[in-house]
Formats: sequence, structure tokens, C-alpha cells
Amino acid sequence: MSTSLEMKNIQKFYGPLHVVKDFDLHIQPGEFVTFLGPSGSGKTTALKMIAGFETPTSGDIFLGKQSIVDLPAYERGIGMVFQNYALFPHMTVAENVAFPLTVRKAPRQETREKVDRALQLVKMEQYGGRYPNQLSGGQQQRIALARAIVFNPSILLMDEPLGALDRHLREHMKIEIMRIQKELNVTVVFVTHDQDEALTMSDRIAVINEGRVVQVDDSKSLYGKPKNRFVASFVGESNMLPCQVERVENGAGNVTVAGIAPGVAQLTGQSGGDRGWLFVRPEHIDIGLRRPSPGPVNALDGVVENALFLGEMTRYLVRCGDETITVKQQNRGLGHFPGGTQVTVSWKPQDCTILN
Amino acid sequence: MNNLLENPWIRGAIVSAPLLILLVGFLAVPLSYIVWGSFEGSKFNFSHYARVFASETNLNILRYTLRTGLIVTLVSLAAGYPVAYLLTKLKSRALSVVSVFLLIPLFTAFLIRTYAWMVILGREGIINNALIWLGITKEPLTLLNTTFAVVLGMSHVFIPTAIFTMYSAMVRIDHDVARAAQILGAKPVQAFLRVYFPLTLPGVFSAGILIFISAIGFYITPALLGGPSDTMISQLIVAQMTTLLNFEHGYASSIVLLLVTIAVLFIASLFIPLEMIWSSSTVAASDEKPRLAARLFKKVKRAVDPVLSVTETTVHAATRPLLTRSAAWLWAYTIVVLVFLTAPLIVVVILSFSSSPFVVFPPPGLSLQWWEKLANATDWHRSFFFSVQLGIAAACVATIIGTMGAFWLVRTRFPFKKMLFLFALSPLMVPVVIIATSLYVFEARLHILGTFGGLVMGHVLLAVPYVIVVMAAALRNFDPSLEPAAAVHGARPLQTLRLVTLPILKPALLTAGLLAFLTSFDELLVGLFLLGRQTPTLPVKFWGDIAYQIDPLLSTASTLIVVLVTASIITVQFIRDRHNTRISQRIAE
Repeated sequence: MSTSLEMKNIQKFYGPLHVVKDFDLHIQPGEFVTFLGPSGSGKTTALKMIAGFETPTSGDIFLGKQSIVDLPAYERGIGMVFQNYALFPHMTVAENVAFPLTVRKAPRQETREKVDRALQLVKMEQYGGRYPNQLSGGQQQRIALARAIVFNPSILLMDEPLGALDRHLREHMKIEIMRIQKELNVTVVFVTHDQDEALTMSDRIAVINEGRVVQVDDSKSLYGKPKNRFVASFVGESNMLPCQVERVENGAGNVTVAGIAPGVAQLTGQSGGDRGWLFVRPEHIDIGLRRPSPGPVNALDGVVENALFLGEMTRYLVRCGDETITVKQQNRGLGHFPGGTQVTVSWKPQDCTILN
Repeated sequence: MNNLLENPWIRGAIVSAPLLILLVGFLAVPLSYIVWGSFEGSKFNFSHYARVFASETNLNILRYTLRTGLIVTLVSLAAGYPVAYLLTKLKSRALSVVSVFLLIPLFTAFLIRTYAWMVILGREGIINNALIWLGITKEPLTLLNTTFAVVLGMSHVFIPTAIFTMYSAMVRIDHDVARAAQILGAKPVQAFLRVYFPLTLPGVFSAGILIFISAIGFYITPALLGGPSDTMISQLIVAQMTTLLNFEHGYASSIVLLLVTIAVLFIASLFIPLEMIWSSSTVAASDEKPRLAARLFKKVKRAVDPVLSVTETTVHAATRPLLTRSAAWLWAYTIVVLVFLTAPLIVVVILSFSSSPFVVFPPPGLSLQWWEKLANATDWHRSFFFSVQLGIAAACVATIIGTMGAFWLVRTRFPFKKMLFLFALSPLMVPVVIIATSLYVFEARLHILGTFGGLVMGHVLLAVPYVIVVMAAALRNFDPSLEPAAAVHGARPLQTLRLVTLPILKPALLTAGLLAFLTSFDELLVGLFLLGRQTPTLPVKFWGDIAYQIDPLLSTASTLIVVLVTASIITVQFIRDRHNTRISQRIAE
């Protein structure tokens, strides 16, 4: 049973400090939404307000149709996985998982069945008698997850749950969490500062910066069509080149890039004469030996400053006048350009956007 | 020299020798004297034990001692628990302020605190005067020399201990655990009873044991606040050794007290690791199976589950309107406790400015007459300087011996390490009255009774465990890669010690030294027995004057001592804070 969650114009002040601003978000039942932002951006405060550990200064939060701002945490019926798991060290794994049912005074038989099912779901059924400090980090993570879902919560909150795991385990747990979420069809709010986690797991990502929701979109749109420079630089790697819009033609803009080269790019509401930044992803840039005359548009001449071989791809830093452009090229038997090579970099008009 | 130091056995022997000599020579041997003497050595005459248990009076004293110990323990734990809990939630600045209010009573001599209660509870004391003024009673009530006074005075002594011991265990419990319980559906009272409280039980238990074994060997407070029917076993021992001169009987009583203490500690060791009682930081998070306590607790929990549920529901219904996030009531309660702890000291301070020749509160007027008297009282001056001298000597010796011992106990690997650590703390386990009497007998044999050296050794013995606890904790937190780093850069072992190890340990050394000094400065019983014909130490002088007459001069002397102790605590706290911020800033950079 999954529920929608709606946050309406939430404000949160700590004294004079405005940590969450105009927070508006509607999460569909069964949706997996990630709060992504740098540390100190207010994403954890937003999560704490959903959980009931903080009270919003103003605004309202609805779980389904019910406003929950005045409900204490224990009456909200929300499941939560904590960053450090917060397993109860004096209880066995089974007692930990049973805890939400015990405090709700569920019948013993029903409790046992539900605990078994939850432990099965996280593949930890043979560990019920152990104590948390006898488990590895990944296993503790699974128990925390089992404890959070055992009572069929209407919504599941996860506060940087993968932060304490090593890289390999993290990859594995990502897939596990997604599997369990699909299996239970539960609404999930996931908080992280790691863009890889956000991009892989979420149906939608809310990028948060300085207490404000900057953009809410699915992974592809967020990566391909960031709304502003913060999102573009925070999610994935990007090149930002200063530019000026000359004219608007057929919805696309004719621009001058870095004051020298002509270009064509997609606009986000700019008109002729505006200054802005041309945004293009490193993997959308082609690199080739210097041609006598550069292409008509979206091409710059430069010198390879640095070529880093990364296995599946090579990462070039190319100096073009005052700008340094990052290029990522798949290693598929194409040419390799060592440092000092004179090159031309170019990109397609549909792969670049002007941002304010 | 350096070659010799590289041999771990030789190094271990050098570092451990002073501590072992002290513990064996001044604790184990004197105690075995007492044991030996209690059955008159090779005569194996156990009649003295028979007399201890045959006399109804003695049995009553034993029973009364245990009962008072238990009541005081429970009162201190119950009063201290909420305060300790609040402390875990405080940020560093507020924590410093509140802990200064707790540290001052903690480090004010038992004698002064007890004297304050004599002033408050006396016939002309605040309580009686207030009751008469309010018209509740006509005649002053007899509050002094009652069991009530003893329990009140002793609880006042032990509440700060309870708070700090429980706090040091509680502070390591993640508050997220309680939060997790609530978001998972536990009502606040459920989260407390099922999650937080069980996790704090080991801390509560170790505080309880600490207080109980200190309380049953306590001397000053029952002697001054209790009536004839409130005699505790340590008073019996002192009376037998000093006025009745019935030594064998005194030995036998001491052994009975010692055996009770050992029995309590043995039972405690079934539930918690014993070293946790004195230094919680030494107990690493263990992977071992939960101890008997946890298993027992589980059984109890299953048995009381229905009761628990009912309690939860009623308490929840009752407290629901009180539950605010600001924890205002917790603050109110803490302030009440802090006032209870500091008010007696404030009474003493005010009294020192009294214009009356008698101990009357509130004083009829203000004057500096008592301060002038103190300024001219050469006997007080001599006592003060003698105590300072003694304290400094004892603190220096104890800090050196204790630090070396802590290095040895923390840094070297050998079997029975835990046992040896406990042995090093044993002067804290043996009731002071027994240490005092055994040293008295032992030093008389060695003909060092009544010498300055003999007195210093007695105080060193009492102070060394504190030094070891502080230094062992500091050494365990010491980054183990720093010393190899110094060596790699060319420092010889002694240079490493001088340039790297000791400077980093400076705040801990300072704390340890201060604790050792205060232990000696406040010590009465050992001083009383070992002093001989020397100038009386400040507590001994104080003790003599209280027994002789209570006048505001004692308040004046107390005030001076409280001010000095407070100043030194704040100074050390300040130096520690500065050191810590400097180090953390360096890390931040």
C-alpha cells in the first residue's frame, strides 16, 4: 500500500538562518524520489521534517490526504533507514525487525510471520538470532531496511543509507533496494549527495541547493536538460563556455562562443543580445586533428594540455584561448592525441544549451 | 642506555616497578597484616569474628550500614539519571557551564559539604527558621542527628558521582537509536523503556555499584549528621582502633566490611566488566555475547511484559501533554538538582560574612569579622600550608607513578592485563577506613608513622588510581602512528617522549595531577591515622574544630577552600578546552 506525499510551501528557520525555502514537491504513490544536493543544502532537514524530528516553520506536509505536521513521529507510520543504521544493539536481529510490530502490540504469531517475510526479502533469514555488532556493515544495512519495511509503512525514508559501505557493496545494495522497492511498490524518499546513486535509482530527482528545490526531473532530463548552471555542474561533468546570443532563429540561437567562434545552440528563454553560458557535456564533444579551416559552427581550435587514459575512455583537457574544455572519448580504436597536439573540438547544435 | 631501553622486558620492569611496589608494599602487605592480625596470626583465634556476629549491636550496625548504602544509592541514581540524560543532549558550551556546577560540589571536600548540612539542618538552621517563620511549626524540629540527615548528606555527596558515571556511559549511546524507535512507531515512553533505558542499564548499574561500595565504607557524613542509632561500620572500626583500642576486634570488623565489598564487586562482575565502574572509556565495544545481565534482563522483560504494556499506556496518556520538543521540564528538573547541589555551598559562603558570633542563618548582619579572624589565625595558616605542601608532594609522586603505570598497562601486552588493571584500581575498591587502619598498623611497624613521607605515601596510594584512570584513557586515544613518525624522523625514544608524547598528553597530565592534589587535599581518615605529631592537615584541623564547636570561622575557611578549588577546576577546564580547540583547528586546517 503506497501513499502520495505532498510538501506545500515549506519554510524552515533556525533562528535567523533560513535553511529550507519555498519547498514544494508532490511525490506520487510508489514513486522513488531522491533529494540530491551538496552537504548543508537542507536536504536532510527536509527529510527530518517528513519524519517528524523537525517542525516546519510554516507550510504543510500531506501523507495521502492527511496533514502530518502536527503528528508526532511515532504516529506517522513512516519507515526510515538511518545513515548509521541505528540498530538497537541490545536486541537480536529478529527483535530489531520485530520492534515496530512489538510497539504496536501486534499478535505474536503475526509478528513472527512478518519478521520472517521481511528477513527473507533482504535475504537475511538465517541471521535472526545474531546481535547487530556481530554483523558486517552491509548486513546491518539489510536489517535496517527490513526493520523499516516490516510494518508496511506507507512511505519509506532513507538518509544516505549507502554512505558507510564500500564501493562494491554499494553497487550491490543499490540494485537490492530497487528490487525491494519494486516488489513492495512502496513510496521512497532517498537522500544522498552522490549523483551516481541518484541517477541510477530514482524515478525522479529533486536537486536541492541552499535550501531550495532547484529542479525536479527524471534522471535523463536532469542530465540532458539541466535548468541552470548549478544543476549542470552538480549532476555529471560539464563544460560551461561564456557566450552571447546574437539572433534567435527557428527557436535555436545563433551565438558567439568565448568571444571568437560562431555557434548554434538551444535556448532556455533567452533573446537576442543576452549573455549566458553554453553548456555541453564532455562526451558530446568530438575531438580531431586540427583542420585547416574549422567547421562553420560549434567548433574551436585548441591544444591538448593533458590526456588521461581511464580504461574505457580517454579524458582530454583542451586549451582553447582562455577556456579549458573537457572532452571524453570512448577508446574504440580511434586516434589518440598526446599532450601538445593541435586539435579541433566540435559538437552538435542539439547537444548544447544556453543557460543563464 | 638506549640499547637497554629497547629490551621490552627491561623497559616493562622499569616502568611498572614503582606502581607494583606501591600496590604491594602499601596495600597488599598492610592488608595481609590486618587479616593475619584478625585471627591473632598463628593462633588462629577466630573469636573476634564470632564477637562481631554475636553482638546484636554490631549486627544492627552492619544491617544499618547496608540499608543506608542501598537507600543512598537508589536516591542518587534516581536523582541523577535525568540530569545525566540532559547532559548527553547539550552542546559543548552549555555542557561546560552545567558541568562546572556539578564539578564544584564534586570536588568540594566531604567535610565542608557535611558541615554545610549541619548548618542547614541545625536547630537554628535555615529549614527550622523557615518553618517557624512560616508558622508551620512552633518548636524547631530535630533534623540533625537523624537517619534522614545521613541519607540527605550522603546523597548530596554521591549525586554528582552518579551523574558523571552514568553520563560517561550514556554519552556513547547514539540518539538516533531513540529517534529510530519513534519513527518506527514507538511512543516516547516505549522508546525510552524498550530502547534507551535498557542501553543505559550498564552505566546505571556501574554507578550504583560505585556509590554502594563507597557509601558502606563512608565515615564523615554519618559521624557528623547521624545520631547514636545511625552508627555505620566504619565508625565502629575507627572507635575500636582509636578509643577502645581493641585492635583485633577492629581488624575483624574491617575484614567483614572488606568481604562485603568484595562480594558486591564479585556479583557486579557477573553483569558488567568491573573496570567499567571506574573508567568507562576503557571498555571497548565488545563482540562477546551479552553478559548474564542482558540474559537475565530478557527473562525479566518477558515476565513483566504485560505490566510494561499497561505502564506504557498509562504513562503515555499521562505525559502526552507534557511532551514538548524543548524538554523544558527536564531543564527545570536539572536546575532543581543543581540548586540542591550548590545551595549548601552558597549558605556556607554567606555565613562566612556573618556578623553573629553563632551559626545562625540567615545571618543578622554582614561583617568581615570572621575573615579578619581567619587572617590572624596562625593555626589555620599552618594547616593550610602543610596541606598544600602535602598535596603537591602527593600529586607529584602519584602522577609520576600513575603515569608510568598507565603506560605499562596500556602499551605492553601480557596475560592477565585486565586483572592487573583492576589491581591498580584496588585502592578505590577497598574502603578508605580499612586503608587508613592497615597503613596505621603497618607504618607503626616500619617506624615511619607520623613522618611526612609516611603521610605522603598514604595519600599517593589513594590518588594513584585516579591518575591511572585518566592517563589510561588518554593513552588509549593517543594516535599510535605519532611515535613511529617521530622515530622515523630521527628522534630517540626519550626525545620522542619529551617532544611528542608528553606534550600531547599535557591536558590529561594536568587533570590527573589536579585530581591527585584534590584527593590529598580533601582526605581526612588517612590523615587522621597517619598524622602523628605533625601539623594537622586542613581536613584534620577542620574535623577537630567541628567536633569542638561550630562557629562561622569554619564557614570562612570553607569558603576560601571552595574558591580555591573552583578556581583550579575552571583553570584546568579552560586549559583543556584551549588545547582541544587548538588541536581540532589544526585538523580542520
